[in-house]
Amino acid sequence: MKVLLVDDEQKFALMLAKRLALREIQTEVFFSGEKALETVQQGNRFDVAILDVKMPGIGGIELKRRLGLLDPAMKFVFLTGHGSKMDYTAGVQEAENYLPKPLQIEELMETLNRLTEGPTAAADLDG
Amino acid sequence: MMKSLNRLRGAIWPRFHRNHDEHLNPYYTFQDYRQTWGMTIFILMMTALVPLVVMTLIYYQLIETSINTESLLRTERLASNARRAVTFFLEERLAALTFTVNEMGYDRLTNPGRLSEVLRNLKLGFGGLTDLSVIADTGTQVTYAGPFNLEGKDYSNQPWFMECHQHNACVSEIFSGYRGVPHIVVAVKSMRPDGRFFVLRATLETERLIQTLSSYKTGEHADIFLVNRDGLLQTPSQFYEGEFHHMNIPVPAYSDRTRAVMSTDRSGQPILIGYAFIDTKIAPTSFILMVVKQKAGMMKVWLDLRSNINWFFGFSALIIVVVITLTSTVMVNKIFQADRQKAETMVAAERNCQLASIGQLAAGVAHEINNPLALINETAGYVKDLFTIKQQYKEDPDLLEHIDSIIDAVARCGTITRQLLGFARHFDVQTQPINLKDMVADVINFHKKEAEYRNIKIHVDIPETIPLIETDRGKLQQIILNLVNNAFQAIDNGCFLDVRAEMDGPEQVRLFIRDNGCGISEEHLNKVFEPFFTTKKEGQGTGLGLSITYGLVQKLHGNITVQSKTGQGTTFVVTLPVQIKKETQS
Repeated sequence: MKVLLVDDEQKFALMLAKRLALREIQTEVFFSGEKALETVQQGNRFDVAILDVKMPGIGGIELKRRLGLLDPAMKFVFLTGHGSKMDYTAGVQEAENYLPKPLQIEELMETLNRLTEGPTAAADLDG
Repeated sequence: MMKSLNRLRGAIWPRFHRNHDEHLNPYYTFQDYRQTWGMTIFILMMTALVPLVVMTLIYYQLIETSINTESLLRTERLASNARRAVTFFLEERLAALTFTVNEMGYDRLTNPGRLSEVLRNLKLGFGGLTDLSVIADTGTQVTYAGPFNLEGKDYSNQPWFMECHQHNACVSEIFSGYRGVPHIVVAVKSMRPDGRFFVLRATLETERLIQTLSSYKTGEHADIFLVNRDGLLQTPSQFYEGEFHHMNIPVPAYSDRTRAVMSTDRSGQPILIGYAFIDTKIAPTSFILMVVKQKAGMMKVWLDLRSNINWFFGFSALIIVVVITLTSTVMVNKIFQADRQKAETMVAAERNCQLASIGQLAAGVAHEINNPLALINETAGYVKDLFTIKQQYKEDPDLLEHIDSIIDAVARCGTITRQLLGFARHFDVQTQPINLKDMVADVINFHKKEAEYRNIKIHVDIPETIPLIETDRGKLQQIILNLVNNAFQAIDNGCFLDVRAEMDGPEQVRLFIRDNGCGISEEHLNKVFEPFFTTKKEGQGTGLGLSITYGLVQKLHGNITVQSKTGQGTTFVVTLPVQIKKETQS
């Protein structure tokens, strides 16, 4: 599994990347939406993107839209430091993929596994 | 019995008499409504009653004065008339004797036959004469005509004889004399040709005089009689005869004309006395005419009237007192209720304000804390990962325990920051039609398992008549969820939870969430919506649940209240508009 992690909190992102690496998940870390877009535009492929919702420049929601255009098969997990899941239900489709900070690593792992298992095949067929 | 009495008292007794909401006290316009009430009643009563009382007293005074004056005048007039009658009675007889003595002369009068004839003529002319006699200057009776044989009697020591000698004529007091019958002696002096004097004396029956006096008597309480200057009764008195035939009221001071005065009798009753010292033109007398009236008798009409006025006055005063008391009570109660509403609004406004500022502060703090928290969490997690995944320190439970406690603490802080952020968020309200019944059913579904496990009965009663509500789904869901959660925490196994809804007019719907759990004590009831207020043990509750709920209800333009009794349970009532009004755009 290859994961794209985008968060402007550098230390947090690096630490999370290390933890994911320990769990044998290949993670590339970017501290801004622009850098992440660049990588994908250059042809790098990722199974899942973990995006912070609020970032300077391109925010998580906008980044998801643009990445989705470049790679329709890509799955997304949002991280937010601004409250619980329930507050975001309105207006956002993938409500189940919201994870509040501070993270529960088990919860993140579960989400990643779920996204990369069954639904991937279906999405591929649809695509 | 006592209960229903108390209920009755509660219905009549105004609300401000049992004001126990001390937290509202600083917001009241009047601090002490009982005192305000008392003052209002007192001032109104004084304003209404004092002039009434003063006017009535002045009126009484005027009436009494005028009645007194009138009574005195009437008494004086009566005494004056009676005096004239008595004077005339005596003068008439004295004049007749004077005429007889001048016309007949000593020689003819001393002839017994002639004297008897004169007596007969006088009796015919005036009546009331008993006898007639001629007395020589020595005081010896010379000739007598009449029923008694008194010839030769010596009158030289009689007071009337001496007076007659001095004044040419006299009128005696009424006395019994030699014959033992009350009579008056009138006598005139004349000169004989030889220069010596003689006296013609007549005895008058008192009957005629008493009758004359009686004819002037008016009313039951009037008394009219003659006394001499020592107060000895000359004619009988109906009410004022004391010991030894003396009258029992003091002899009035001398006056040459008729007078009337006020006085009191022996028993202290007020009386009116009219009196006149009687003097004839021919001879002075020692008679005083007394007219005595009891004032009470004369005042009776007035006293009756006054008693009626008093009754009327008392009745009016009673009505005034009742009307003022009722009106004041109602008005003060109205003011109190308005004031109380104002105070409640101010308390609510203050709480809103407090909640808003605390919300802003909370959001700031939460933002600042959340990022380091996330970092601590990941760092601690990474260290833990190193220990567990790299096998190296896997066997050291002590280290793992410490790291786990760091992660637990972060998780707990995370819960708080998340709730704080939720509390402060000002997302737009997005409305959509919501079926309240379905939504409650959804929320209850979350708790179905727990309810079964804990044997808690959940009763939902939301009538079909409740219309779709235009409101924010997420917020309403969270409100209901929070309240149901709250109830579940408050109740023991085997209790019940009751969710009920009803319309409150066509515009509002009311949702009741009632449990029969532990309840909230009175001192805590005012604070349940305040942020960070919790009665749970440290670490078990954030104290934000209800304040967030409060904020959410406000955002939906609704209202939330709580009623609770310790040990009996708690009811939260959420009132929501059926349609959220669009805020006016400025």
